[in-house]
Amino acid sequence: MNQNLFRSQTMNQNQACYVYPAAPATPGIVTPDVTFYRSIYMDGSITMDDGKVVTVWGFTDNANGMNNANQFPSPAIRVTEGQIVHTVLNVPQMLIHTIHHHGIEPAWQNDGVGHISWDVQGTYTYQWKPAHAGTYFYHCHTNTVLHAEMGMYGPLIVDPVPNPNDPAGTKRAFDGGPTYDVEAIWACDEIDPNWHTLPWWAGTCGGNVGLNNLQPKYFIITGVDGAKSALTAPGVAVKMSLGQTLLVRYIQAGYFPQKITFGGLTATVVASDGRPLPNPVQVQSIQACSAERYDCIIKPTKAGTYTVQIQHLHWITGAVVGTAKTTITVS
Amino acid sequence: MKRRTFLKASAASIASAATASGLLTWSPRSYAATISKTYYITDGYIAQPDGTSVYFQGYSQATGSLDVPALPMIVNQGDTVTVTIVNTLSTTHSFVIDGLVNSGPIAAGKTVTVQFTPNTPGTYLFYDNQNAPYNRLMGLHGGFAVMPTGSTNELYSGSPTFVQQLVWIFNDIDPVWHAAVAKGTKPTTAYQPLYFTINGLSSRPPGAAGNGDPTIDAMANPSTKLEGSIGDRTLVRMLNAGMGANSVHIHGNHWEFLTKNGQIRSDVWLKDVLYLDNNMGKIDAIYPFEAPPDAYPPVTTGRYPMHLHNEMTQTAGGGLYLFGAMTDVYFV
Repeated sequence: MNQNLFRSQTMNQNQACYVYPAAPATPGIVTPDVTFYRSIYMDGSITMDDGKVVTVWGFTDNANGMNNANQFPSPAIRVTEGQIVHTVLNVPQMLIHTIHHHGIEPAWQNDGVGHISWDVQGTYTYQWKPAHAGTYFYHCHTNTVLHAEMGMYGPLIVDPVPNPNDPAGTKRAFDGGPTYDVEAIWACDEIDPNWHTLPWWAGTCGGNVGLNNLQPKYFIITGVDGAKSALTAPGVAVKMSLGQTLLVRYIQAGYFPQKITFGGLTATVVASDGRPLPNPVQVQSIQACSAERYDCIIKPTKAGTYTVQIQHLHWITGAVVGTAKTTITVS
Repeated sequence: MKRRTFLKASAASIASAATASGLLTWSPRSYAATISKTYYITDGYIAQPDGTSVYFQGYSQATGSLDVPALPMIVNQGDTVTVTIVNTLSTTHSFVIDGLVNSGPIAAGKTVTVQFTPNTPGTYLFYDNQNAPYNRLMGLHGGFAVMPTGSTNELYSGSPTFVQQLVWIFNDIDPVWHAAVAKGTKPTTAYQPLYFTINGLSSRPPGAAGNGDPTIDAMANPSTKLEGSIGDRTLVRMLNAGMGANSVHIHGNHWEFLTKNGQIRSDVWLKDVLYLDNNMGKIDAIYPFEAPPDAYPPVTTGRYPMHLHNEMTQTAGGGLYLFGAMTDVYFV
């Protein structure tokens, strides 16, 4: 932890307003099928393609009491439909955060919304049982406008229960849904570097700190600058063979609308927001608003490198304010 | 100034009823009727969450009140609708529903009556298209619902059914623009919204003055909050009077997404986020009030938020997270 950052936040904790710190026992808690441990980092950074360094915050995987390395976005929570899941969030003293499992619809105590339940200070165990396979994400819901922009989010994937009639290792988007060989998780987000200098409580007690006015300068894909790096970054850019099927899990993690195009490839949208579509639709592009998810099946018919573009559109004017790019390379 | 007035239902009023509960209420009938309604164009100031007083205009229930937005109207397909607009201001205004009616300019101090027959069920925005878009943004807008003939529980004939319905109108507010209009001038600065509302209200979180006050707090207002028991399927007619594209995110259940911008969607998608276009985008969706599917142990009661996920809209005055355009969902 960056000691200066931590100290300044500690000293100013009382400046936070309209937060509801608590860490009660989880109602109806049972032995889970799977447990995820998350703590907080607020001293992360990413280096943009222009050389500038931007501070990011997120969740660490602190299983076994170890604070593992900062990841941005935060490490994935991946579960199987029907499992009882515990997400154990530990928030160090003097900080206040939550986890909202976006699109998951649990009891209100486990929804991670401060003004309705509590903001976590200490340790709270979120208990939930996903009923629907699909693509979700999790994020902090404290001073959300800032904390989500700072990067406090990670993918949340619910896989279907394996079908006993499928060959071992078969991957499906959802029960009865399409199979896939290769998976891409693209969390597309924009960054306003001015916001990334603010303390965690910024604005909560009033005063104009500019949180109405997002002026993004960087456009990232799953934590990687989409100006150039994401074109080839492992884990973002896709490499696949002709004949394989790709599942793109597109997570709209920004605030401005986005338009994603698949470099001339046709995508078949099979699900959105964690629910299968009654009838899949074929598209060349998708325009999405903040927090939507689209599950897209792509079966390239020709080898080549396809450049995927995510245009970020100003929420008022509609003007393109930036474009992030990555690739699908088919050999 | 009275913040909000509710329609007094007269004996002759068989239509346009938004009751004090905030829900749109409707009795089925198989015959067309003549519906009459008067709105007074008034102005005044409304205090924003940070205490700033901002100028607004509205289609109000009386000369001495200011309603932002207007009390919604609900009519039957095929009704003859007569709306009288009394312009009490010193500027020119109008009453327009795209595709249905256009009063043309209503000069200062003038009264104009328009008559029209809506034949297509659905959700419409009535608004002032004069001095566009400024008069609309000042608060001159309201919801207009057209029910299918003889139906109490459908959006359009054959649609998925509901048991209760309401209108959400979103707006975003740049006080510099409002001050310019108050002075009778045109704004000259880039649009920079600083306050965000649902049905004219921002939210007030626990601990804030006004929390729980239905006249101030959007989380408590009966025209904005969703309240129901399991099975109380609720149609929400969403209209965007503002300039910003919104992301309407709800917790607890997914929406059943029925229409966008007046077009019936070929399939009903289940969505936890709805993309509401800027500049008069509209969406109809049903909140099904099913047991939250991912709860363990299962639950049938609880409270959840609805908020716009373009989170700039959750602020007021450039900060004050939780004082923006949001409301709550109550499973009772």
